[in-house]
Parts: sequence; C-alpha cells; structure tokens
Amino acid sequence: MRRSFLICPMFDVNRIATDFERRSSLNSTEAAQTLVKALRGAGIDLVATLPDINLAELLRAVEESHEIIHVPVCREEEGMGICAGAYLVGKKCAAIMQNGGFFNSNNAIVSTLLQYQIPLLLLIYYAGDIGDRTFSTTGSLTEPVLQALGIRYYIMRETDDAPELIRRAQIMTEDSKRPVALLLTKELLGRRPALKAL
Amino acid sequence: MQRFECLKKLAQVAGDALVVSSAGAVTLEWNALRPSDGNFRVRTLGLCSSIALGMAMGLPKRRVVALDGDGSLLMNLSSLPTIARMKPKNLLHIVFDNEVYEASGSKQTATGAGADLVGLARAAGIKNALWAESVEAFAQIAEKAMCGDTLTFIGVKVGTEREPVAPYPIDEVENKYRFIRYVEKTAHVEILKTNLPASYN
Repeated sequence: MRRSFLICPMFDVNRIATDFERRSSLNSTEAAQTLVKALRGAGIDLVATLPDINLAELLRAVEESHEIIHVPVCREEEGMGICAGAYLVGKKCAAIMQNGGFFNSNNAIVSTLLQYQIPLLLLIYYAGDIGDRTFSTTGSLTEPVLQALGIRYYIMRETDDAPELIRRAQIMTEDSKRPVALLLTKELLGRRPALKAL
Repeated sequence: MQRFECLKKLAQVAGDALVVSSAGAVTLEWNALRPSDGNFRVRTLGLCSSIALGMAMGLPKRRVVALDGDGSLLMNLSSLPTIARMKPKNLLHIVFDNEVYEASGSKQTATGAGADLVGLARAAGIKNALWAESVEAFAQIAEKAMCGDTLTFIGVKVGTEREPVAPYPIDEVENKYRFIRYVEKTAHVEILKTNLPASYN
C-alpha cells in the first residue's frame, strides 16, 4: 500500500519538480541569455564566477560572451579581490556565486569593498529558498547577513524584469560605491515555475 | 637576505608599474622607496594576489607587481591556480617569505615548517616560478620580468628585519581615489564619471 502511494504522481512533489526541470532546459538557456545581455547592457565587462548547478546555463552564457572577460575562481573571496582590482583600473565588474560563496567572501567584502568604498554587483544564487530541499540554514541566513553588512539587495524572480533591475542595480552600486546584491532564484533562472505569491 | 635590499633593486626597474602590496611593513618600505599614487595598499590578508590579478587583466598593457608575503599567500593559495589559468603576461608576483606572521606577533607560518611557496606556484601551473637565492639574482629576475612578457612568480627568503620608515601617509579611501586618478591620467582611461545634473537633460 505504502509503496503505491509513493509512486502515485499526484502526491510526489519531487516528480513534479523533475518534470518541470525536464521541460525547462529551454527556459534556463533563454534566461541565461537574457541575463548576460542584461549584464552587457549595464556595461559589465568582467565577471568572476564559481559554479552552482542552478547557475550552469548562466555561466555557460558568460563563458560564450566575447564581450565579457570571464574569470573562473577557485574560491569566491578571490573574486572580490579580482573585481576590486579590475574596477580600480576601469572595468565594470560582477561576481556570480551561490550564497555559500557570498559567506566565503565576507572578509574581503568588509575589509576591501566596504572599507575602500568599491562598487560591485553581486549576483548570488539563492540556495535554500522556499521550496528547496537543501541549504535551508544557508538560505535563512542570507538576507540577515546582507542586512548586517548594509548591502542593499533585491530578490529576482521575473526574467522579464532582469534587464532593467540589473541596469538599476549597477547604477546603485556605482552611485553608492558599495556592493549591491541581486538574489537569483530558481524561477528567475528558468528552473522552477513562477508563483504569483512570491 | 633583506627585503629592503630587494625592494631597492625593484624600485630601480619598476618604472610606472602599478604596485599592489600586502598588509604589513612591506607596504611602508616600498612606499618609502617609490612614493607614487600608483601604489595600492591591501588591508585584507591574502587578497593582494587577487587584486593584482584583477588589475593585470583589466589593464593588460600595463605592468602590475604584487608584493605578497608568506602569511598572506598561504591564506589565499587558491589564487595561484586562478592566476595560472588566466596567465596575465604583465603580472609579476613577488613573495617575501620570512616564515612568520610579521605584522601579527611573529608566530611561525607554515613555510617555516616546510611549505614551499614556489613549489606550490609551479604545481598550480605557473611555469615561470622560481626562488631568488641572492639580492643580485632577485634583481636580475625582476628586471627580466619587468621587460618581458611572461607571467613570473618570484619567491625570496628574507629575514624579519624591518627598515625604519615613515607610516603610510593616506587612508584607504584616499588611496583608492589617488590610485584611480593616477590610472586615468597615465593609462588614458576614464574611470570615475560624474553625470550631469537632471536639470541639464
């Protein structure tokens, strides 16, 4: 009895998610292309990255862009230094990572970016968001840590809004000379259906 | 070997290179030997090599020098494979290895217990990584690196002597602005732009 319950599609939330992900490979490719175009539109020309499975299409699109210098790092904190150095000589930079990587970067964010008043667009994949089965602790502490650092952040769920939001965030980071974070959700990245409630 | 003697040799060949220096006395010594707005002092232990990499990639026609320390590089060892991967030809990465956390009470670092930073750099993929065994050897390698077009990593074993020099004359934000203005002027790029007020539109 129990077994038949588990394989019944109506009640198997994992299966629903998997079906969406299977259908949505096109969505995530399109979302990635929209985001990279948006980064270019905001003038970004150097991007430091470290992968997460949900960022795979986005990082591929960054790698394929001939207009963006792509620096794959081994640890996210390096990216804060690379972007700071590149900014000081005239590049517009972004760092793409998971929120665990944002935690890894905190010393550099505080004692380099904030201390020297250096702008940087942080594109942080929001692991542990509502509906995720992993990284709930990382997810629950992401926004409080951003708040504690005084970093203004916006949660991105609509791919259509991405170009304008990225453009505005780049203006904000340049104007305030502080990092600004955009939290990238699975919905934005085309890996989960969007909900009107979020 | 003395760090200050090596820095003197470097100052002779540095020209207008952008120089990023790690937290600690090396910054003050370098600034005494080559005072310039093209000097950038790093305050995050470990980040010197990464900041220098970002500068070298952002301005590929300009020579960039990182003055790193053993404690600093040990904290950011992962920058070595990243530097090797990006292979900036205009980057000279110098590590003064005194085997202690000099600025933090002189406790021994892992290099004092046998870790080999040049070996680590080579293993990370930086082919032109070598120890300078004397001040003269250092001067030769540094001069070659400043004129050539090869990513270079130099390790130098030094003592813990500090040269009595003046304190750093500016704070972090002033360092940033002066550095940026210096790059704008000497590399002919526009970095800090101020928009016209809305009333002009």
